[in-house]
Amino acid sequence: MNASSPIRSSGFWAEAWRRFRRKPLAMAALAFVSLLMLVAGLAPAIAGTKPVICRYKGRLYAPCLGYFDRRLEPTIFAKDKFRGTYPRNLVEKDPGSWAVWPLVFQDPYRSVRDDEWPGRPANPARDEGRPSRINLFGTDQAGVDVFAKMVHGTTIALLVGFVSMGIAGSIGIVVGALGGYLGGWVDMLTSRVTEIVMCIPTLVLILSIMALLEKPTIWHTMAIIGATGWTGIARLTRGEFLRLRQSEFVTAARATGAGPVRIMLRHILPNALAPILVPITFGIASAILTESSLSFLGFGPPPPSASWGSILNDARSNLSMWWLVVFPGVAIFLTVLAYNLIGEGLQEATDPRLREARK
Amino acid sequence: MPLLEINNLVTAFHTPAGRVPAVDGVSLSIERGKTLGLVGESGCGKSVTAMSILRLVASPGVIESGEILLAREGGSVDLTQLPEPELRKVRGGRIGMIFQEPMTSLNPVFTIGDQIAEAVLLHRAVPRAAARARALEMLKLVRLADPEQRLDEYPHQLSGGMRQRVMIAMALACEPDLVIADEPTTALDVTIQAQILELLSDLRRRLQTSLLLITHDLGVVAETCDEVAVMYAGRIVERAPAAELFANPQHPYTIGLLAARPATGVRHEGPLRTIPGMVPLPQNFPAGCRFHPRCAYARLPHCAGDVPPLRDIRPQHQARCHYAGELGPATGEKGDAAHFPHFSNAGNELRPLFPEGGS
Repeated sequence: MNASSPIRSSGFWAEAWRRFRRKPLAMAALAFVSLLMLVAGLAPAIAGTKPVICRYKGRLYAPCLGYFDRRLEPTIFAKDKFRGTYPRNLVEKDPGSWAVWPLVFQDPYRSVRDDEWPGRPANPARDEGRPSRINLFGTDQAGVDVFAKMVHGTTIALLVGFVSMGIAGSIGIVVGALGGYLGGWVDMLTSRVTEIVMCIPTLVLILSIMALLEKPTIWHTMAIIGATGWTGIARLTRGEFLRLRQSEFVTAARATGAGPVRIMLRHILPNALAPILVPITFGIASAILTESSLSFLGFGPPPPSASWGSILNDARSNLSMWWLVVFPGVAIFLTVLAYNLIGEGLQEATDPRLREARK
Repeated sequence: MPLLEINNLVTAFHTPAGRVPAVDGVSLSIERGKTLGLVGESGCGKSVTAMSILRLVASPGVIESGEILLAREGGSVDLTQLPEPELRKVRGGRIGMIFQEPMTSLNPVFTIGDQIAEAVLLHRAVPRAAARARALEMLKLVRLADPEQRLDEYPHQLSGGMRQRVMIAMALACEPDLVIADEPTTALDVTIQAQILELLSDLRRRLQTSLLLITHDLGVVAETCDEVAVMYAGRIVERAPAAELFANPQHPYTIGLLAARPATGVRHEGPLRTIPGMVPLPQNFPAGCRFHPRCAYARLPHCAGDVPPLRDIRPQHQARCHYAGELGPATGEKGDAAHFPHFSNAGNELRPLFPEGGS
């Protein structure tokens, strides 16, 4: 029988990781994406106007959590009429208070006012707001700090990639697995549906649905990208299942009495996962790009939350504000590049043919 | 009543080039606690017969007719008619299977312990810990060195012989009534072959399991089997108790096979004896007796015209040859027909026929 059928040893992942690690570009890309995750998670501690931790009237609070969800901001500050400005109010209302501040005292949703931070002038607005020591990436037309906007927009950039590819991956794997394993009319049906969905222009579909929706949100965008972006994953999964269905360990599993669901999930899927991960990684990159394009066209997340693409959109009305183009543009470029490099690294680390060719 | 009885099994592959009957009217029976050897050259349909029993024949193969009766309390059940969920209980539960290729028949992503435990859990309502204990017990039973440690190892960490022991452990884990071993030693080193065979026969005796041993190795048959069925071109051509078959082969094909064995311990003079010609492909099986183009005794046009029935030649000894019993005794105690007796019975017009002179 076929001796060259898939021998994916358990050490497969360990070995793929070893090969991946030897690629400096892919590792740099992985480090970059990890850094972005860190930035997204610590955004309120990197840029914000709310204390990370503060002691007020004898108790400890973490008002910065309000950036994740408004309800997480302690109500006592609203009751004491802070109106969102902490530095002065804290000292005035409780001289014994102290606070740990974010690295950069700038807010992603509003301009910082004059003397809000003791001795610091208000953010410049319009085309005055070029990058400076206080506004690292400059300010936009309303005087909102671009660095703070970008730090807080990282979450959206990452979320778009993971959520939309999470949806696309789930649909693609299920469709591809059913078609590849069951074959026959099921395969015929899933293959045709895949081909039809492949013909749908994602951007046009999203634009038309966004136009129809009353209150479009970033989640709608992710859902549509996910619902249309699964075709490549489905085709690859189908191929892997077709191949592995005939492998001897699957026949052996059937001979022990395993049913089709168990064989698909437990026996084939873990063996097929590596090649499926590659288009998912590339998909993340393209989803981020799609979201940026949409935001650039003005169909991004509604204000005040800002994605990188919507900062680009701000630059459309005033092209002399080059910092509104350069910083988010470079961020999008680097992120997309990083995901593509990871995808390529993954492909080379897991594809046995590429591996041999490079020896 | 035999444990397993196959009656007139026909399994054909429906390829674009037409119907290919790989198994064409095979009848077999296996008694409880006995070993049946199914012998034949590559491509004679013995593996397809084995796969048909558990309905594991891959598409486009179809069991077209015949019955496979498995004895159970108060009667028997026809496996060809059994619904899939019921059949899954038979697979691995009442009939275990061991495959030819131990290198690829184990799932590379699971540990040995997990795979045996899964086989147990599929058929026994026991907790995971008990299944694992059973796996360990089985590894000890198949005499794998360091069973506790092996339990958590992956297939690629084991040698071919060790993996075949694991396959045997898996097949026997649920104490099946019948074990089908499809060329279990073909892929192994000669020294390992003997160990595995010895293990298999020993376990079979101890567990009172029936064994269907599929092989092309007559030496293996002589050592392990109670009964032998010789298969040629999709049909059973001879059936007899092992000792009887080796002492008195009746079908010219069997005589040829036995003659083709190099005698051990004797310095061989001249070229090894072979059966001239090749096994015909199922697409173009010859009419009449399928062996006649290669048969030294073939008598035309009778042999090319009528399909010989499988008939009793001696007590418990059947052969599918028009002239069985009239061929003259095979010489040599191992059936080594030293002078492959070309029939020259005057008046009977029997003549040797070789492929170049084929009809």
